[in-house]
Amino acid sequence: MVPLSWYLIVAAALFSIGLYGILAHRNLVVILMSLELLLNAVNINLIAFSRYLEPELVNGRTFALFVYVVAAAEAAIGLALVVNIWRNRSTVSVDRIDDLKG
Amino acid sequence: MITLQQIFFLIIAGVMLGAAIMMVSARQVFHSTLWMILTFLGVAGFYVLLGSSFMAGLQLFIYVGAISVLTVIAIMVTRGMMRHHRHSFNDPLTAAIAALACFGGLTWLIVQIPWPTRPLMDIPPDDLAFLGQVLIDPNRYMLLFEVASLLLFVVLVGALYIVRER
Repeated sequence: MVPLSWYLIVAAALFSIGLYGILAHRNLVVILMSLELLLNAVNINLIAFSRYLEPELVNGRTFALFVYVVAAAEAAIGLALVVNIWRNRSTVSVDRIDDLKG
Repeated sequence: MITLQQIFFLIIAGVMLGAAIMMVSARQVFHSTLWMILTFLGVAGFYVLLGSSFMAGLQLFIYVGAISVLTVIAIMVTRGMMRHHRHSFNDPLTAAIAALACFGGLTWLIVQIPWPTRPLMDIPPDDLAFLGQVLIDPNRYMLLFEVASLLLFVVLVGALYIVRER
């Protein structure tokens, strides 16, 4: 069998790559896509914990299901905001959407 | 001795992490989306290896199906952005240092703990039926299940409200 720590390390790598995408990109669409990478990394951890540490195999999966719900909600709202920002400002670059900067 | 399952794990992990790196370093947003789909397929492969083909199916439906289509539509609507290639990155060196520090810290924490190398038990044949019962059990997750459906409804109405034509 694959040791649990392998899954955890790969999920940590996926999380870090997503973090890099969020920090390095200016396009709002790519930032939202990187956010999905973070949620996927968390889901890998939840399912792996559920398989290796849980006799019932349900709590981790249920958490992963709720992460799916939140991810779908985040994608729908986020991309609707992107479309709306594009309509109003003709840009989706985050360094030009800085009206709240003060 | 490396087993067949470990070989599959390493192949999937390599493809998935490679696709993820290509996704965040691609110059064109549309190429990023294609690499993102490959990454999500790798995650689905992990779920199959973890014995949860139901979650793998959900991963295919929600991420490979729905979210990538939504992303492609958003890219089509904001297509003018793809011309600004030079300005698409914002201080990548600092971001890489932060991401590497995050990975190093997490890996350091993970290797401190003696994790189990094999699951507690084999997968029972009716694990999916039990998952469904737990989800609608009033003493466990029923309230969260209903709130999740309400959240999805509110989000759909809210997304329609945000993108409406004025």
